[in-house]
Amino acid sequence: PTLCFFPQVPVLRPMDLMVEATPRRVFANAHTYHINSISVNSDYETYMSADDLRINLWNFEITNQSFNIVDIKPTNMEELTEVITAAEFHPHHCNTFVYSSSKGTIRLCDMRTSALCDRHAKFFEEPEDPSNRSFFSEIISSISDVKFSHSGRYIMTRDYLTVKVWDLNMENRPIETYQVHDYLRSKLCSLYENDCIFDKFECVWNGSDSVIMTGSYNNFFRMFDRNTKRDVTLEASRENSKPRAILKPRKVCVGGKRRKDEISVDSLDFSKKILHTAWHPSENIIAVAATNNLYIFQDKVN
Amino acid sequence: MLGRGLKRKLSDYEENMAGLSSAFDSSRNLPYPLKRQLVLNMCLTKLQTYKMLVEPNLHRSVLIANTVRQIQEEMRQESNQQPINVCPGIAPSNPSYTGMESSGISLQLPSGISQQESSCCDLRSVEDPIENSLLIVSDDDMSSAISSILKDLDFVEDISPPTCLVPTGDDQPKFAENTSLKLEDDRQDLKGAECVFGSFEISNSTSYLKDLAIDDIFEDIDTSMYDSDFCCPPLMPSRPPSLATEEPLKTFPSCNSSSASNIQICRTDLSELDHIMEILVGS
Repeated sequence: PTLCFFPQVPVLRPMDLMVEATPRRVFANAHTYHINSISVNSDYETYMSADDLRINLWNFEITNQSFNIVDIKPTNMEELTEVITAAEFHPHHCNTFVYSSSKGTIRLCDMRTSALCDRHAKFFEEPEDPSNRSFFSEIISSISDVKFSHSGRYIMTRDYLTVKVWDLNMENRPIETYQVHDYLRSKLCSLYENDCIFDKFECVWNGSDSVIMTGSYNNFFRMFDRNTKRDVTLEASRENSKPRAILKPRKVCVGGKRRKDEISVDSLDFSKKILHTAWHPSENIIAVAATNNLYIFQDKVN
Repeated sequence: MLGRGLKRKLSDYEENMAGLSSAFDSSRNLPYPLKRQLVLNMCLTKLQTYKMLVEPNLHRSVLIANTVRQIQEEMRQESNQQPINVCPGIAPSNPSYTGMESSGISLQLPSGISQQESSCCDLRSVEDPIENSLLIVSDDDMSSAISSILKDLDFVEDISPPTCLVPTGDDQPKFAENTSLKLEDDRQDLKGAECVFGSFEISNSTSYLKDLAIDDIFEDIDTSMYDSDFCCPPLMPSRPPSLATEEPLKTFPSCNSSSASNIQICRTDLSELDHIMEILVGS
């Protein structure tokens, strides 16, 4: 007779992947306002965290102390007209960082000059285009993301309608401006009403700094080739692409006759926004976050 | 052609605002002061809403407050060009973000409030100028002005103010002596035209109403369906509404406007007053 310890033979059952995030370190109590950025320094020993009014410098090993390096809080809060929106360390110079503001300006600071970086080393601001002035000009000029190029020679900023590339040596205007979705310019009041105008889109460089990418609405994301000046709009959605299928370029029709396969501005789904994207540091592989789905795309493999 | 179709009740405030903002975007004929007032109203409403959040968003509040300040400054400069400053307006000053750190923003827009604030009902806090600016609406004079106007026009319940509700008092002289305001229609006298509720001068409002000759305009129309029209004479169509969108923005969230007609705008404006009154009265 055979001995049977189990009513059934144990089987291997596939389970859903369970990801459990556990904090390894908590750096607490240094921020009074909403944190908008963190950036690891090139020394890999320190990092900074930025909130609306302050930027703090941390050492990875020290969780109960931080060093305040930027503070733009006015003594009289009634005088507050500008907040910090994003910050990043220089990729090579561990004493240099930039931070952007809600007024569309970027300040580059050098931590060697003083303990509290109240005085910027450089101040980047583009003069306003009077022909585009509207009630919402300031709101759409607010910078939602700032990123150094891998070379460290340029910075890229994202505001509501454009992506701009700045040369660190030229503070008075960007060297390149790319229109992400200029067709929204005539819809600003509606976008203000439904709060979409406050959406914070990120922007990324590819490994060689030749292509930049950012997200838009309707699960669209855009890539701009800085050398060829060509751009493409792609969509991250399951309905419109199968795995391993080549993405078809999309086009938004701005008015007049809509061609087949074009989408009219009024049909865009503003609840489907791509705020976060990432580009592999050396390969042509991108990650695109569309609502609650993460898409990974890569170059066509021949 | 004025639609004689179904009267749709805009009971949801958000729906009202969506209709207004899509009209703003799609119409080139909307007069600039009206657009400006619409934006100002939206800003103040948002600030009010943000204040009530558990964790108010400082970034957004700053952006909106700057927009309000810019609009108020513009309105003040325009009114300074007028000799008469009839009503004590809200002195625009810097917003206060005190209390943001601990318990939330107490956002002050104009901190120099005129003596009207003391006579306002439902004064929740002196440091609450958004409410103060809205409270000026609920000032006793304003309330009686509203009720008298309503009575005159034999309104049914559901009315809301024109978009230019939030007054600085400076609107009054501007419109009374307006020569620079251009309308494509160029049909109506603009005396007190845009903001029936934009001033505390009851006399001005009633004189405006007398000028209007509403009966002529609506002689062939059942006025009970178009109870908001009095408030927007510049937009009053004897032709197809210039604000009708060609392509309705259907996909904007909460946007339900399929014809941003003038009537739509006026009605939503009145619903807005209703809503604001509700906030103030605390109902």
